[in-house]
Parts: sequence; structure tokens; C-alpha cells
Amino acid sequence: MATETENLETLVNRRYEHGFVTDIATDSLPPGLDEGVVRAISARKREPEWMLEWRLQAYRQWLEMAEPEWAHVHYPKIDYNSISYYAAPKSDADRPKSLDEVDPKLLETYDKLGIPLHERARLAGVAVDAVFDSVSVTTTFKAKLSEAGVIFCSFSEAVREHPELVRKYLGSVVPRRDNFFAALNSAVFSDGSFVYIPKGVRCPMELSTYFRINAANTGQFERTLIVADEGSHVSYLEGCTAPMRDENQLHAAVVELVALKDAEIKYSTVQNWYPGDEQGRGGIYNFVTKRGDCRGDNSKISWTQVETGSAITWKYPSCLLRGANSVGEFYSVAVTNNLQQADTGTKMIHIGPNTRSTIVSKGISAGRAQQAYRGLVRVMPQAHGARNHTQCDSLLIGKQCGAHTFPYMEIKNPTAKVEHEATTSKISANQLFYCRQRGISEEDAVNMIVNGFCREVFKELPMEFAVEAQALLNVSLEGAVG
Amino acid sequence: MLEIKDLKSRIGDTEILRGLSLSVNAGEVHAIMGPNGSGKSTLAQVIAGHEDYEVTGGSVTYKGRDLLELDPEIRAREGIFLGFQYPVEIPGVNNAYLLKAALNAKRKHRGEPEIDAFEFLKTAKERMASLGMDPKFLHRGVNEGFSGGEKKRNEILQMAMLEPELAILDETDSGLDIDALKAVAAGVNALRSPERAIILVTHYQRLLDYIQPDFVHVLSGGRIIRSGDKSLALELEAKGYDWVREAVAT
Amino acid sequence: MNQLDTAGIRSIVGRFPTTRDEDWKYTDLAPARDISLRWLDAGATPPAVAGDREVTALTSEIDAHWFVIANGTLTRRPDATGVTIGQLPATDRNDDALAELNAALLREGLRIQVSGTPDKPLGLLFIDTADSVAVSQARVELVLAAHSDVDLVEYHVSQGHAEHFANTELRIDIADHARLRHVRIQSRDRNHVQTAATAITLGRDSSLNMTGFDLGGRLIRNDLDIELAQKGAAAVFDGLYLAGDDQHIDNHTRVDHLVGPAVSRQEYRGILNGRCRCVWNGKVIVHEGADGTDGDQANHNLVLSEKAEIDTKPELEIYADDVKCSHGTTVGQLDETALFYLRSRGLDRRHATQVLTHAFAAGLVSRIPVAAAIQLAEKLVIARLADLIDDPVRNDVTA
Repeated sequence: MATETENLETLVNRRYEHGFVTDIATDSLPPGLDEGVVRAISARKREPEWMLEWRLQAYRQWLEMAEPEWAHVHYPKIDYNSISYYAAPKSDADRPKSLDEVDPKLLETYDKLGIPLHERARLAGVAVDAVFDSVSVTTTFKAKLSEAGVIFCSFSEAVREHPELVRKYLGSVVPRRDNFFAALNSAVFSDGSFVYIPKGVRCPMELSTYFRINAANTGQFERTLIVADEGSHVSYLEGCTAPMRDENQLHAAVVELVALKDAEIKYSTVQNWYPGDEQGRGGIYNFVTKRGDCRGDNSKISWTQVETGSAITWKYPSCLLRGANSVGEFYSVAVTNNLQQADTGTKMIHIGPNTRSTIVSKGISAGRAQQAYRGLVRVMPQAHGARNHTQCDSLLIGKQCGAHTFPYMEIKNPTAKVEHEATTSKISANQLFYCRQRGISEEDAVNMIVNGFCREVFKELPMEFAVEAQALLNVSLEGAVG
Repeated sequence: MLEIKDLKSRIGDTEILRGLSLSVNAGEVHAIMGPNGSGKSTLAQVIAGHEDYEVTGGSVTYKGRDLLELDPEIRAREGIFLGFQYPVEIPGVNNAYLLKAALNAKRKHRGEPEIDAFEFLKTAKERMASLGMDPKFLHRGVNEGFSGGEKKRNEILQMAMLEPELAILDETDSGLDIDALKAVAAGVNALRSPERAIILVTHYQRLLDYIQPDFVHVLSGGRIIRSGDKSLALELEAKGYDWVREAVAT
Repeated sequence: MNQLDTAGIRSIVGRFPTTRDEDWKYTDLAPARDISLRWLDAGATPPAVAGDREVTALTSEIDAHWFVIANGTLTRRPDATGVTIGQLPATDRNDDALAELNAALLREGLRIQVSGTPDKPLGLLFIDTADSVAVSQARVELVLAAHSDVDLVEYHVSQGHAEHFANTELRIDIADHARLRHVRIQSRDRNHVQTAATAITLGRDSSLNMTGFDLGGRLIRNDLDIELAQKGAAAVFDGLYLAGDDQHIDNHTRVDHLVGPAVSRQEYRGILNGRCRCVWNGKVIVHEGADGTDGDQANHNLVLSEKAEIDTKPELEIYADDVKCSHGTTVGQLDETALFYLRSRGLDRRHATQVLTHAFAAGLVSRIPVAAAIQLAEKLVIARLADLIDDPVRNDVTA
């Protein structure tokens, strides 16, 4: 929380903290996309033939598809041929075996980002699979995880080491042709994380990946696949920052989660990509497909996200509730300030009997930002006893921002109980005055009220993440009031 | 301590205070009484610095400084406390959190260190016990879902913790049952000291049975039309506000 | 109608919205297209005008100044003080295919101007009576002068069981300080398709108080657009839809808050039984500068059958900051505890279901703003509900 000694002026003008560029030579492909590029990416990663074939099919499907236009966002047309589809740190050919071998400049970058791998990872009991540009460069806590039988590695490694698992689950939740951006990702994905939790195992630590975009003009196409086998449990944390850039950068990730019988996956995100400056220059285009499949009975998938970054966000972490009694949850805080645009929400597809879902969405819009909640609750005819509760609240700060709500409810079963509540309001003058009468500055009062507004979501985050998320929220709204 | 001279104030186009003067010294308890719409609450809000009320004339001096120049939070840190007639609900914000943040803002303003978390909890719980409040209220949202009586007790708790030099209680007695009224009065009486002043804004005499005021003022039409001691309140109770108005008119 | 440009009409029909259009995602106009084309194939003869006797039976239900529009033609007009009746000029329309169709086929548009406070409600009876497949168009413009105070009963009915597609437009202009209380009852035959566009504009400190009932029809699509154009305007409107086998009822509402302060409140309730589908899409748009907006939307649905489907979508688009908007939507069943309570008092399950369903509907019936229409609306709702709940063939609730 901002302290009173900090001058409001400096707070308002504080630039994006993580805006710097690390000077590392990158081994990049020239801009442009054709089959040759897809083959080149696959070759560089020394992928087996089946993986290349999968990518090529995705590429051909992508060519047939059109970029979606229904979202409540506006941006200049993206020229997919001006993007470079592969960049890797130079040391890729000779991957470091331990942290000591990692390029010191890279470690310095993580330090600036506030991710001291050595201490913090160990102290927090977190295994960090740090992604720099497109290729994983370091993984810790491997021993402890492998002892438990947990596989946590880069996607490339998984393709080589665990092809049977990857082939079985890749694209089984988000098919290649699911949507334009998913198809693009399927063709050119660079790297990402793979997690497999064996039957009955409770993952001994929180798994975490820090994403970061660096090389100029490089699209980032992460692919994450998490499989929780029967009766297992895993909590995965994803956090992101990006350096300041004047050109827009495209990010089209795909995250697939599979929860088998009695398994539980908790996926938490704090997203703080560069949102562009006060004039809306620069910033990340974040077009992500995240979907979880509660494939087995009594399984549970829970998405929690705190989103403060990106120039444009297009993102709907979803749950397919297939197994009987399976549970889907979505807890979200999205903050948009200045000229940010976000169209985000969730889909809960109730397929199995007695499936339950909870949606809590808190949107905060300030400056000239536009934010839309778009959600779908669908109860299929066979989903007897399905339950959904949705709470969707928007808070407006300032006269020029917009907050929009587009919830779709499609109910095809008479035993379903579906409830949706939504409110839109501004921070009340009475609340502000009440806090100020108790001696609390306006800035602090706003932070306090906003944090109170988001409390239901923050309490779903792992402790250390919750603290970060609150701090992030306060920084994101600096200068929004007054 | 507080010197109000010829104060004029309006909200929108409506003039509410029309030349009000009042002098309050440390150690004194003043009761401000008057019919609905006489300007009682406006006076409280203007002293606290609510921005909806425009001051169009007169002056307010507090501890020798021009009070009207200060932001509401600075007034609070300088020792002014307003017990709200309608305490505001702030969903999701923990009661203890607000209390601690307020306390620390004041301490910092005075160059004192932040309060120790343990000491804070201990004091808060003691004060709550004496006000007959369940300690679980500390961990609920600020006034969120509180009953009318609970909200008023919560205001008195905040006052007790913040130890203001000038406390203004705006209709704190309204809507209270007799037990709550006694608890609130006990809280106020505990705060009485030669260094502090208290202004009670009230419509009824009832509260003054439990808190003995040094002065009673009758507000009507945005002015103080009569001042006296406790007996004035009793006389008002017996004869009604029209009696003062007529007495003043003649 | 020998000069009818059938090729042109066919082309308009070909341009009807489809489920690919976001606004028509859940409603397929195929039956309207099909009826229109078959009517064109059959020579596009205008349907015969309804008999006066049947009409009188209907209009006598409510003591009102009745306008009767039979198969799209004005056949009866009242003589009332303060009410001026005129014709709407023919216009070319190209806003959408349904408006185009209306403009192309409309025989006569009606314009009604009202000032002061008429002694009785105004009645608009839309009756379609064709005995073979047919299409009809109606268009009415109602202008309420400043400070006028008007009760309106809008009643859509049919005679006979021929397939029919009615495409109607109603435009209401409520001037400054005027007040309109409006009851709308749609009780068409189950072979009827209707698309009804209603656009209402509210002036300064004016008010609209409206309750609508959709009881009949095979495919019904209502578009209610309300524009709060001046400060102090207040629109309060409710709707009840009762759908049984093979019915599709779609209510789209859109409220534009152009300025503030202004208030809009809407509550729609639906009861679905049998193989049917209902759609509710409520959109509230708070435009830039419309500070002081207070908007509320609610949609509650009772789904009683395996084969029923409800698609509900409360949308908010907000471009101002000093606003208070909320919406609540529920889809559910009768409260089992309440059912059990009634049964423990000796009511059988069917009777208990009836009692609770009536209670759910009664909440809206009790809000009817036009006193003269309460009895009729109540009677029709009760009859429709009895049919909906009691029919043992399509009822899986009482099993």
C-alpha cells in the first residue's frame, strides 16, 4: 500500500518497473510464417516426426480460419508475416545443467524482476521453471519432484522424454482448430511447461513458472499441459512481467489442464505484462486459450487470476465439467487503466451429473480503459442437478472508462439451478469520506476499498501470491484517482 | 479549542448554515439540539470537511489554525473525530484493518512509531468488551451487515481507539435501544477529560440523561438561537422547539 | 395487390437475420421465412378482414377506446377527446430485413396523437384471421403530448389455426412530463409466428410503466427498445412468458440511457414446460455522460420439463462512471420445501405445483399498471397456466 510520504505526483508518473531490455544475442528466425518456418521450429527442437506432423496440420487448419472479431476490443490488424516465430537465448545449444551455468545476465534480469531464484525459490518451497523468451533455461527442485514421481519439465523435453503422455493429452482439451489463436499456437508453439502428477500423489510443492517476453518483434507462443492422474493434487502458479517496448507484441498461449477421477488442479495467475504507456503505445496483446477438462468423476479445476497487465487481453479460462460431481471454479480480478482493453471471463460447460461451478469476477476499470466480462454457463441436457453461482462486479474509477458485462446462460436441463448476480458501481464518495475522516489518505482509502472489493478472489490465491497481487493492484491503479 | 464565527454553508443551491457562531474549549461537553433540517448534521459535516458542503462565509479555527484549509484526513489526524449518523459500509475491508490503518496514520502524523500488532489487538478487545461488543466484529467488513446499534457501537469503538481531542457525535443516539444507549454513553463518558472536547448533536434530550453536557445550544434555521445549561434541554423536552422559536421571535 | 414486387419480397425474405447474427443467436426465423415463401407461392393474397362480431367479443372485455387492426388494416377507430388519428406516410426502410418487409408490404400505417388525460384507456387490438397461410404487417406510431397521462392496452390475438407470420412495429414517443401505463398481451394461435418491434422514447421527467404477457404463438420474437433521452425519465417494465410444447418465445430488450439521472427497471419471468425454448436478452447501455443512471435488470425462470431450454443473457455496457447498475438472473425449479409443505397440508403434487407456479406468475400480474386490464390478463394467465401445468401428455412435473 502506498505510504503518505510518497508524493502523489511521483506515484502517478512512475513508469512500469519492469521496463528494461536485457542485451542477450538471440537466435531468431526471420519474420514470416509458412510451412518452412513450422518445419524449422520443429527441427531446432529436434522433435519427432509425429510432433512435426501435428504442427503442420494445425498450420493448415489455421490458414483456413479467420481472426475473431466479436470481442469488445479494438486494435490495428496484426500482420502475421511481420512476426518472428522463434527466438531462443544463445546458450540453447548447450543448456546449463545448474544455476551456476546460467548466463549471469539472465540471472540479473530475474533479479530485477524480483525473482531471486536461489533464495526465494527455496524459501518459498517453490520449483521455478523460468521461461526466458521461448525456451526454458533452468529448472529447480527436480530431484524432490521426481522422488514423488512428478514430472515437471519444459514442453520440448516432455516431447522427447515422455512422448506417450504428450501424445495422449496434447490437444485433447483445446483441439488444434479450437480457435484462430489456438491453431496458430499449435503450429508454432515454442516451449512451455509440462506437468504430470501420478495417481494418488499430492504434489509436494507449489509449481511455478515465470514467463517473460524479451526479444523485439518476437511472438511468444507458450504451451502448457498439466495432467493430474486419478486422486492426485497440484497447485500451479504462473506469473508474468515483460520489458518495455514501443511495438505491440503478440502473445497467444494455450494452457490445457486434465483432471482425472478424484484429481484436483489449482491454477493461479498473476499477470503483469507491459500494458503500454499512458498514450496507449506499446504493450502486449494477450490472446490466450486456457481450458481445463474435469474428465473424471469428483475432479476439480480451479482458476484464479489477477490480471493487471497487457494492452489487450482476450482470455476465458474455462472448465469442461464432464465427470460426475466435478467442480469448476473461476476467481478473477482484472484491472484496466489508461488505454488498456480487456475482454475476459470464463466458460463453465456442465456435462456430467451433479456438476457444480462458481464464478467470481471482479473488474476494475480506470482511466480510459474498456473492460468486458464475457461468460458462458451451459448446462447440457444430461447434466442433472447442475449448479452454478456467478457473481460479477465492476468498479468504475473515472469518467472515461467503460465496464461491460456479457453473460450467456444456456440451460437445457430442468434440474439445473443457475444464479447470476452482477453489479456495477463507482467507489462511493461516502466511503472515501468515511476513511478520510478516520485519517486515511485518499490514495490509501481507494486502495483499501479496491482491495476489499477483490477480497473474495485474493483469498483463493496462495498466501505469498496474494500479497504480491495486492501490491500489484495498488501500483496498477496509481494516479487513477484524484 | 474550536472557534466558529459567523459560519455560512450550503449544499448545492440550498443555504443551510446562515451565520453560526460557537466556541468550544477543552474539557467541555456541548450538546447541539434542534429540529430536523435545522443544520445540525451540516455543522458536523463541515467541521469534518465533507466536500459536498460549500463554506460561503465565516471562519472556523481549531487549535489556533484555520480548519477550513485542511483536508479531511489531516483534520482527523489533528484530533477531530466525527461519529457518523449513518456509518458507511465498506464491504471486504476488515474492521480491524481500518482501525489500525487509521491509528497508524495518526501516529505517523505525530512522528510516533506504528502501533505494535499485539498491543493493538489487546487494546481493541478491551475497549470492545467495555462496549459490549463481540470481538468477532473486528474481523468482519467495516459495518458490513451490522445492525443500527452495532454500527453506532462500532463508531464509539473507533473513537475510543483514536482518542480524539474533539469528538463530534452526530445523532449517535438515534435508533438505539436502552442498553446500547447506555453502552455508548459510557464510552463517551470514559473519554471525557480536561484535554478533550465533545460535541453531541442530537434531536432528543434522552442521551443527555446519560451524558451531562456543560452547554446546550438550540439550532434553528442555520443559527444558534439560544444557549444555556442542561436545564435548557429539559425545558425543550417539555415545551418543544416551537417554544424557543417563539421566545426568540418575541 | 397485382403490382406486388414478389421478386423483391423474396429477396427481402432471403435477407432475414440468421442464427449467425449475435442478436438472433438463439432464435431461428426459418418458420417466418417458410411461411412467407409459401404465401408468396400461393399468390400473396391479402387475408380477408375479420368479422365484426368476433372483434366485438374481444373488445368488450375491456372498456377502452379501441383501434382494431385486422390483418394489418385499420377497421375500427374510436372517437375520443384529445385523440387525433392520422396516417403514417409510406417510407423506404433499410435498417433491417424485417423493417424492409414491413415497409414493402404495409397497407396503412396508423398515427395516433394523444394530449391530456383520455377518459378511458386506449386499446390497440391486432387481430389476424386468415384461414390459409398468410403474412401481415402492422405499423403504429403513438405520440403522447407533453404532460399527457395515458393508459394503453395492446392486445395481439388470432382466429383460426392457419399458419401466419405477423410482423409488427410500434413506436411510442412519450414527451416531457407525460406518463404512459401500458399493458401488452400476446395470445396468438400456436401456428402463429410474430416478430414485434417496439421502440419507446422518453422525454424529460416522463415515465413508462409497462407489463407484457406472452401466452401464445409458435415462434415469438419481441424487440423492446427504450430510449431514456432526457433527464428524469423513468422506465419500469416487466414481462411474463409462459411456454409449452413447440413454443419458442424470445424477448430482447434494450435500454439506452442517453442522459442522467434516469431510471430503468425490468423484471422478466418465465415458466417453461414441455418441449420449448425461451430466450431473454436484456441489454442496458449507459452512454458517455449519462451520470446518475440507475439501471436494474432481472430475469427469473422456472423450468419444469426435461425438454425445455432457456437462454438468458443480461448485458451491461457502461461508458459513464456515476452509475448504479445491477442484474440478477436465475434458472431453477419450484422450491421442494414449499412443495412438500403444501403436500403435508393435503394438496396433491399437481395441485401444489399449480399453487406455486401461480404464485410465481402472480408476482408480475399484480404489477399490471392499467386497472381496466387486470381482470382480462389474470383470466388469460390462469387459463394458460392451467393448460401448461395440467396437460398430462406434455407434463413431466406431476409424474
